[in-house]
Amino acid sequence: MLTWTRTLAATAATAWLSAAPGGALAAEPDVFKIGGVVSLSGPYGVFGDDMRKGVELAIEQRGGKVLGKPIQVVWEDDETKPQPAVQKTTRLISDGAQMIFGAVSSASTIAVMNITKQRKIPHLVTMSADDKITLPGASRYTFRTSNTLGMEQRMALAYAREKGLKRVYGVTADYQATRDSWEWFRKEAEKAGIEIVGADFPPLGNRDFSSIVDKVARSPADGVALFMTGSDVITMVKQAGQVKLTTERTIFGPVVADETMAAGVGPAAIGVQSGVRYHFSVANPVNLAFVEAFRKKFNEFPSSAAGEAYDGMAWWLDTVEATGSWDKEKWVTAFETSVRENSLEGRKAMRACDHQAMQDGLWGVVTKGVPPQPAYVMQIEKVYPPTAVFEDCAG
Amino acid sequence: MSTLIIGLSLGMLLFLLASGLTLIFGMLGVINFAHGALYMLGAYLAFDIGQRTGSFVLAVLLATVLTAVVGLAMERFALRPIYKRPHFYQLILTFGFILVLTEAIKLIWGLGYKEAPIPELLAGTVDVGGSTIPVYRLFVIAVGLVVGAGLFLLLERSTFGMLVRAASSDDEMVRMLGLPATTIRTAVFALGSGLAGLAGAIAAPLFPIELGMATTIIIDCFIVVILGGLGNIRGAVAASILIGLVRALGYTLAPSWVDVLTFGLLIATLLTRPQGLFSRPVRAA
Repeated sequence: MLTWTRTLAATAATAWLSAAPGGALAAEPDVFKIGGVVSLSGPYGVFGDDMRKGVELAIEQRGGKVLGKPIQVVWEDDETKPQPAVQKTTRLISDGAQMIFGAVSSASTIAVMNITKQRKIPHLVTMSADDKITLPGASRYTFRTSNTLGMEQRMALAYAREKGLKRVYGVTADYQATRDSWEWFRKEAEKAGIEIVGADFPPLGNRDFSSIVDKVARSPADGVALFMTGSDVITMVKQAGQVKLTTERTIFGPVVADETMAAGVGPAAIGVQSGVRYHFSVANPVNLAFVEAFRKKFNEFPSSAAGEAYDGMAWWLDTVEATGSWDKEKWVTAFETSVRENSLEGRKAMRACDHQAMQDGLWGVVTKGVPPQPAYVMQIEKVYPPTAVFEDCAG
Repeated sequence: MSTLIIGLSLGMLLFLLASGLTLIFGMLGVINFAHGALYMLGAYLAFDIGQRTGSFVLAVLLATVLTAVVGLAMERFALRPIYKRPHFYQLILTFGFILVLTEAIKLIWGLGYKEAPIPELLAGTVDVGGSTIPVYRLFVIAVGLVVGAGLFLLLERSTFGMLVRAASSDDEMVRMLGLPATTIRTAVFALGSGLAGLAGAIAAPLFPIELGMATTIIIDCFIVVILGGLGNIRGAVAASILIGLVRALGYTLAPSWVDVLTFGLLIATLLTRPQGLFSRPVRAA
């Protein structure tokens, strides 16, 4: 009888401990499992593949382990759509993922964020830029180590003012994040004395921009602000180049160019000005070592997506390691106030109020690359300090 | 004027793509979901061949022929054995081909965007009514017109066309007459696929070459086929021009309403003339 009582008591105690918040005293798992939800197909497929490369290298460089256990990443393709992102995140969490990494498009990331918040699973974002992802109080479990659209639009405005543009024509992909961003830019530009001479909102994934290019060409605009990215911006700039618009007007935007997009545009991309998230040319020892390792492993220069993914994941895993614990709540608490002095782009400091990493803003222009660089590369022209590109946290 | 030219160039590009789709459906009764993937394959092949040879003409010709060969193999080894089965087998099979072709393209060319330049000869611009129009747009219109005329002559005025029409209306009768009905079907599928490849090769300098390019245009292509009347080549020409002009006008006046306009036209057609805007009424016996 006594044995039965002891057994029942032990079972009850084990059950209680397992159910304790954060599973603090739960048995250590055999692996540290990361669920990677990225776009490997669809409009942002190219970014997801680069992010995967960055994460792989970050894990490899720490011997493939954290907290003494091997790291296992399960990659899922969200097809650049929120619905598959939700389904795949749910499955990954059910399969025991200790954290979720991704997604690429902001719509997918916000969808993923709602699940990780509900399931109390840490969620690392290194690509999606929608400001809503890191609003104060949005989610205790979601962190972004990369740029926000807000900081990119502030750089775009600063560029327009510094360049002395007088009249701007805006072309914005018709979805909420870019429309909000354009609206902010329009108001601030008008306050700064820049006249908005036209604005169009073609649908996301637009097939042809030649009519809009024609309207811009017939307008008195000296600057063309593009609030779009991916294949939309490639088609727009490519078709603008076919009527020499790229050489006659200043084409710029928060995130309209990097090596990946310039490769799709070709020579017309030269001269396009854009915010840059990460760049391989940033001259600090950590970045130079990363670029060398990346080139050795993948035989190419790291893209923005790869660099940001590497940086964010390396930072997160170092933070987890430092806690010495398998308690997810401790990881989250530690990351909230974490500072990365040796990030690829210099100092990054996580802001506890909104879980956004404060960092420098890079602004660059597309130029011709010199072998072995890609055919077209971003040349960083200006570095804005965090105080110039972030607003104070409202929370 | 510029809107008209832009609309015509959009329409002709759509026609190049839709003509193959409508040809295959009209003559073989097969809805080829993989048509967009063949268009994408044509664009990648043109990019690759253009890079290797530096010749735009060779790139377009070889991309067209190679895509036709891929289509031929699809018909010969996969579609032919299931012609007698219910239609959904064909739908699933051609849908499967999208996945296979996309994965093959990913393996060969990777995920990154590719760029095919406009050849030097066609890289200029002309001023039309105060607008600057790329010469390449005029070239696209010309290619569309030539292909349209060629298809008309081939299907309506040649022996091959007569055989194709005969096989499409009574396959068994053609066989009974000792004519190669099976070969005709294969040739039609290869021709339709080749047209998709040609559309991809011609579109390559205008758009980013990427894995999503098939899905962005194939929806418009199906709209053209429905508006033109399933299997109706002349209808496809007219519907392509209509969609091209609606889109060009929409982009000029209200870009955010372009999709609403296009789909509105489709819905109105389905409600009022489900056989298509340009189909001749069928006389009952």
